[in-house]
Amino acid sequence: MLHGFPSVPRWVLALVLAIAAALAAQSVRLGHQVLQELDGLSTAATDNMQWNLSQAEVEHLKLQTAVLTASAPEDLPRLRRQFDIYYSRISTFRESPLFEDLRRSPAGTGLLQQMQDRLDRMASVVDSGDQALLRGLPDLAEELEDNSANVRELALFGVVLQVDDSKDKRLKLFTILSRLGWVVLALVLALALAALLLGRLYRKGRQMAIERSRAAARMEAMIASSLDAILVVGADGRIQAFNGAAESVFGYSGEEAVGQPMVNLIVPDHLQEAHEAGMKRFLQTGKTQVVGKGRLQLEARRKSGELFPVELSVSVSQSGTDMVFVSFLRDISERIAVEEELRRARDDALAGERAKHNLLTVMSHEMRTPLTGVLGALDLIEGTGPTQEQRRYLQAMRVSGELLLHHVNDVLELSRLESGADSEKLQIFDLEELAGGLVESQQASAKGRGIDLSLHCSLGGKPVVAGRPRAVQQVLLNLIGNALKFTSEGAVSVDVMRLPDGETVELSVADTGQGIAAEDLDRIFEDFITLDASYGRGSEGTGLGLSITKRLVEAMGGTVTCESEPGEGSLFTISLALPAAKALPRQTDQDKPQHKGGRRLLVAEDNDINRELLAIMLGQEGHQVTAVPGGAEAVQAASEGRFDLVLMDISMPEVDGIEALRRIRAGQLAEGTDIVALTAHAAAEDHTRILEAGFAEVLTKPVNKAELAGVIARRAGGGVKALPRTESDIHQFFEALGQDRARSFLVSFCEEVNQFQDMLQGSAELEDLQRKEAHRLAGSAAVLGLSDLRSAMLAIEKTELGENLPLAPFQQAWASAAMILVPHLHS
Amino acid sequence: MREMISRAGALAAMLVLAFAAAVSAGDDPQVLLSVRMDGQSDYAAQYTIEDLRELEPVTFETETIWTTGPQQFTGVPLAVLMERMGVSGGQMVAHAVNDYSVEIPVSDAVEGGPIVAFERNGAEMSLRSKGPLWVVYPYDSNPDYRTEEVYSRSIWQLDRIVIRQ
Repeated sequence: MLHGFPSVPRWVLALVLAIAAALAAQSVRLGHQVLQELDGLSTAATDNMQWNLSQAEVEHLKLQTAVLTASAPEDLPRLRRQFDIYYSRISTFRESPLFEDLRRSPAGTGLLQQMQDRLDRMASVVDSGDQALLRGLPDLAEELEDNSANVRELALFGVVLQVDDSKDKRLKLFTILSRLGWVVLALVLALALAALLLGRLYRKGRQMAIERSRAAARMEAMIASSLDAILVVGADGRIQAFNGAAESVFGYSGEEAVGQPMVNLIVPDHLQEAHEAGMKRFLQTGKTQVVGKGRLQLEARRKSGELFPVELSVSVSQSGTDMVFVSFLRDISERIAVEEELRRARDDALAGERAKHNLLTVMSHEMRTPLTGVLGALDLIEGTGPTQEQRRYLQAMRVSGELLLHHVNDVLELSRLESGADSEKLQIFDLEELAGGLVESQQASAKGRGIDLSLHCSLGGKPVVAGRPRAVQQVLLNLIGNALKFTSEGAVSVDVMRLPDGETVELSVADTGQGIAAEDLDRIFEDFITLDASYGRGSEGTGLGLSITKRLVEAMGGTVTCESEPGEGSLFTISLALPAAKALPRQTDQDKPQHKGGRRLLVAEDNDINRELLAIMLGQEGHQVTAVPGGAEAVQAASEGRFDLVLMDISMPEVDGIEALRRIRAGQLAEGTDIVALTAHAAAEDHTRILEAGFAEVLTKPVNKAELAGVIARRAGGGVKALPRTESDIHQFFEALGQDRARSFLVSFCEEVNQFQDMLQGSAELEDLQRKEAHRLAGSAAVLGLSDLRSAMLAIEKTELGENLPLAPFQQAWASAAMILVPHLHS
Repeated sequence: MREMISRAGALAAMLVLAFAAAVSAGDDPQVLLSVRMDGQSDYAAQYTIEDLRELEPVTFETETIWTTGPQQFTGVPLAVLMERMGVSGGQMVAHAVNDYSVEIPVSDAVEGGPIVAFERNGAEMSLRSKGPLWVVYPYDSNPDYRTEEVYSRSIWQLDRIVIRQ
């Protein structure tokens, strides 16, 4: 905006002009008066007064001459005529307004009266007969003689009057003229002032015009150089301005576009109706969904008819009744394309991430199944009284197997944490007891390495806290395990301490191990980090332990930190909010169903070997086991007998675990009895689904004896025998079934596989029966720890119609499996 | 007749004489106005009062600077006289009984303009009351006629006109 155009000079100017107008009117009036006066001077109001007065004297002298020269009657007409002329002169003095002043003055009146009287006397003589006139001539002469002085006096009188009169007129004229002079002077001044003000206004106006044209030029340049298309549209919907960017975006030239209705030009057909309705609504009600609503994304049309996405911003400019819409449009087709590409890339990445996650989960699971078989078998072998040498080999196998299982479990744990499914509920537990038990369980390992493992608790006499015991246990175990792993000789000290705030508990694990270099401290909590250079030879690991720890701690709202001095040792500290809680009354043995010895258990599992193995393992523990091969049989068994616990495989043909549970619960066949799911799926979402279906808990296959004992203790109130961790493999299998049965099972398994192999070679396409057989054989292979064979079977099972059967891996796996199995076929 | 009036005594002389003039005109048709062209010795036209009355006389009322109050004048327009003379330009030189003379432009002789008045307020005019003929302009109806020049052209006791072309 231009700065303050002063309003004062405006009204001052108006005032000055008004005054000037008044002065002009006054001067015109006075001028008119002057003209009148001058006119008065020019008119003969007085002109011939002198003439008349002098003529009176002339006519008087002529009459006197006529009287003096008249002697005969023939002279008389001339005399009479001369008398009449003189008479008319005198009568003029009496009648004419010119001589009013004369008549008004007493001297003048007297004089005129005297002359008139004389005239009347002479008239009586002149009007008498010729003879009488001739006789009266001397009298007339005498009268005229007397009259001559009067006539002269009259003439002089006229002079005096004339002088007075012209003096008055001069004075009057002077007054008017001087007044006029003042008025004109004032008028000139007023006009000068007005001219000054006008000059100032003019300068201001010119300045404003310059600034306005500058602003207009700037605006023009802005519009022209804008990268966005700018359209100015009137209230009638016609385009008023169309900038260069608009030309290139829409393909119309400015000349083509200006004056055209915008809707016809750039609004796509399917939006035209909405546009016109919106425009109408705006003009009627002022309500809008577009104007002033910031950036909107719409479709527009090019001259070529191509539709493309635009970003649009519309504002209204209103001055008086003139309203225009200013629209800024940006062609965002490229941006949209890029966005689309990004989205695709992100989706691909996410899909890849999911695939990785799935792969990890599936792989871990696939690895764990045979692994637990191996470990279970080791347990069994140990019970067969091996030689010293064999015992040493067995120990080596156990160490390797357990390490491997530990890695697999790490990966599964990470995957579980990743999926965010770890939402252990808050529980009341005894922290001191938890830590004590944990440390105790590690003492053997510590002693074996010559490490002094110690625990110091200072919980202020309130060891019972509210928190997530499983997570706490795991993170503590991870840290202790790490400390032991990286300390060859020395001490590992575990401190559990409540901080003064009463809420936070610090769990710290200090070791005198090799320590961690400062530059590595930041990395140790990342996934898959093993500090190879310093750790590689001395220890093994997936590198997931600390990252799992960190995730668990953070999931609990705590922090984990590490301080370390290479060569001196490391200190890991976990801070967790573990508020003290009131201890729950301890469950006593009376609370649980009292069954000394074995429990009545129902096991539903479709895989023959697994079912057999489970039944044997549970039977060895002294439980009464009813094993059924499917869901329907489980329901049947539940209706016939009474069980303390049901272990139910989830994926079974026909009636699966979930359906079986539904039927059991619907039929109230096992009231008060928990049903625990057995599943090979470690994924968290599966567990959730299973728990929602009504299972008491989920055991992930393969399960070992310890886990079985744990779940029976929890769910069926069974006494827990301190069980060594046992795993299974072919030996366990043999132990469980007995030599003869196991051997015959193995023989039939080998025959079945061979038959299956022949069957596959004989048929081009997979039949449903073969598919089922593959699935069944895969399960058996898993129990026997023949993972390659199992994978090959599963690959065959999942072969789509029309695909070539993956026979080669199967044959290869079968060949190597046969090598393992053959020694067992013969006693 | 004149004697009779004089015997009537000192009445208002003007009225008496006007009456006398009218009566004497009836007896002896006296030429009141003579018109001639300049350079010719003979009069081109001579008018008695009767002649003038026949020339479509007009009447108007006006004030003059020589009289008191509104006056009604009847007379023949100069325009009519000039038309009769076939004159459309030049000057009229008007002469009075006492040999006073003045020039009147022929262009003054227009319709609604000056007349040669022979009656004032319904009566013929005597010599004593500026008669018998008086060139009168309608001063009141036209401000242009209220100028010294026009006043000087308003000649009374007119008796002849000489036309200079």
